[in-house]
Amino acid sequence: MASVEIQNVRKAYGDVETIKGVSVDVPDGAFVVLVGPSGCGKSTLLRMIAGLEDISGGTIRIDGRVINEVEPKNRDIAMVFQNYALYPHMTIAENMGFSLRLAKKSKEEIAERVNDAARILGLTDYLKRYPKQLSGGQRQRVAMGRAIVRNPKVFLFDEPLSNLDAKLRVQMRAELKDIHARIKTTTVYVTHDQIEAMTMADRIVVMRDGIVEQVGAPLELYDKPVNTFVASFIGSPSMNFLSGKVAEDRKSVLTENGVRLPLGPEASVLAGTAVTYGIRPEHLAIASGNEGIPMTVSNIEPTGSETFVQGTVDGQKFSAQLRERLFIKTGEVLNLALAPTNSHIFDAATGMRLG
Amino acid sequence: MTTNSVNYIEPTTEELSEGVRLRRRKRAINFAIDVFLIVVSILMLLPLVFLVANAFKTPAEMLSWPPTIIPRDPTLANFSAVLGETPLLRWIGNSIAFAVMSTIAIVATSAIAGYIFGKFRFRTMNILFALFLATAIVPFEVYMIPLYFQAKSLGILNSVWGLLLGYLVMSFGIFLIRQNVIHSIPDELLEAARIDGAGEFWIFLHIVLPLLRGALGALAVLAFFQAWTAFAWPMIVATTRTSYTIEVGLALFQTGFTVDLGRLSAASATVLIPSILLFVILRRNFVQGVASTGLKE
Repeated sequence: MASVEIQNVRKAYGDVETIKGVSVDVPDGAFVVLVGPSGCGKSTLLRMIAGLEDISGGTIRIDGRVINEVEPKNRDIAMVFQNYALYPHMTIAENMGFSLRLAKKSKEEIAERVNDAARILGLTDYLKRYPKQLSGGQRQRVAMGRAIVRNPKVFLFDEPLSNLDAKLRVQMRAELKDIHARIKTTTVYVTHDQIEAMTMADRIVVMRDGIVEQVGAPLELYDKPVNTFVASFIGSPSMNFLSGKVAEDRKSVLTENGVRLPLGPEASVLAGTAVTYGIRPEHLAIASGNEGIPMTVSNIEPTGSETFVQGTVDGQKFSAQLRERLFIKTGEVLNLALAPTNSHIFDAATGMRLG
Repeated sequence: MTTNSVNYIEPTTEELSEGVRLRRRKRAINFAIDVFLIVVSILMLLPLVFLVANAFKTPAEMLSWPPTIIPRDPTLANFSAVLGETPLLRWIGNSIAFAVMSTIAIVATSAIAGYIFGKFRFRTMNILFALFLATAIVPFEVYMIPLYFQAKSLGILNSVWGLLLGYLVMSFGIFLIRQNVIHSIPDELLEAARIDGAGEFWIFLHIVLPLLRGALGALAVLAFFQAWTAFAWPMIVATTRTSYTIEVGLALFQTGFTVDLGRLSAASATVLIPSILLFVILRRNFVQGVASTGLKE
């Protein structure tokens, strides 16, 4: 086990910089998830930790040792790829024992370690088969097994679940988390799926366009996003944003046509500031009487447990996820209530969180 | 709703007759395709059948009309004459040695060059690859004479090494392997091996080569028959009777004052045996593509 320290790391292809000075600390034994939209540089960063991409600037340390110029095989890491990268002409046991064979371990030791890993992953019955005879989930587990067998300092995962179907993904998510809880190897995990990030990580690193937007525990990111990008990226369905100005009493925000949006007590902003007001769809409820935020409903999606409503507030897009059943039609106005403490307020110009 | 209220809609007679008509038409088309293919294969096989039949005929029967497929009076005289009076087995041996060595050389050079062109994408590599491909548009006969002088100065005329000189590399083979590498060996497989501690040569030997088995098998068949049927180059490199390849040797039957059809047929029929054997052995590789790559498509 080891820590991974990434300091001001840059990656440039010619004049184009794709990683623009990223610093992330991965403590010993932590499960850190790099998340962001495609093209944000998260996979490139992971490949730089693995040594598959050169580092244009900055330093990466594993267990305190600078590994910028160290060959991948000498970094003591194991990587699991999105397409599993199993050797098709080798059996499962050969696939899992591959790195040990290269390290010239004895046959007995290889067999023992492969069997141990197979037991952890429930693959004992498949050791003599070939990858093509296994299902997607089983192949995924073999890829995991190949990593576990090496007993590396750091696990690197590059979108390992995105080739699985939705149900299997949920199951493997839990299995991966369970395995990490048992073997406690430092893990860096890349995904574009914020739900995967939220459910698995000790710490999430949200990236966009080659920079880190925010680092924090999953609920920290959910409760206190530093800017509108993180606010909209974390959480599903996405946060609602309404633009307006802080009212004279500084306890609410007024939209252009005078819809009053309540502010929490901690928000200390000057009256008249142009702001973006954020509220998550799941923090809304049906208001009693004619109070609250009037939303013109354009689409209603009942899922049984919840009702997802889309529409507009003062001409701006808005949605709500309601526990209650709804008995209204599209085109009608629904009054929504919210707790002011659940509101978020961002600077309209920079998108940064205010107070 | 009870089951009684379900209405089954019966197809009308018109719909039924149209179904029958379409099915008949489909069957007729399939039949026509079969007939066409059978006729074409017979046309392609017929010369070979006559060649083998002629080898067993007497000179008189060979010239009789209509020609017979099964000889009336089969004789082995042609075979014994060919095997007794010409070094036919020696020529076949030369051809096999030449073809096998050329195949090994072409498979080896194509595998290495194809892998490197497929997976190490630098700008200089692209230029080199373009140059390699460009050689494919220059007919062999164009550089045959310079190559001959090269063979002469190396002192390898009239030997298998001289024959080999013109058939060491095949630009099409490099192209074929490169396309296969790009198509069927994902980068992640090589990266995973590198992380696991494998060296580049080890990766090539233990991961790339096994995955290219199908393509290399197909290439081996192509390379073998290219050398086996080569004529112009062996013709100028091999000038002594004992160093001929079978192609050159067979041509001898047509020179001089007459064409000895019986002996030519017997020699040709003998020559067919190794080719057919090889094709039967390698047929699977030839037809089969690369097996599942073990990755999710």
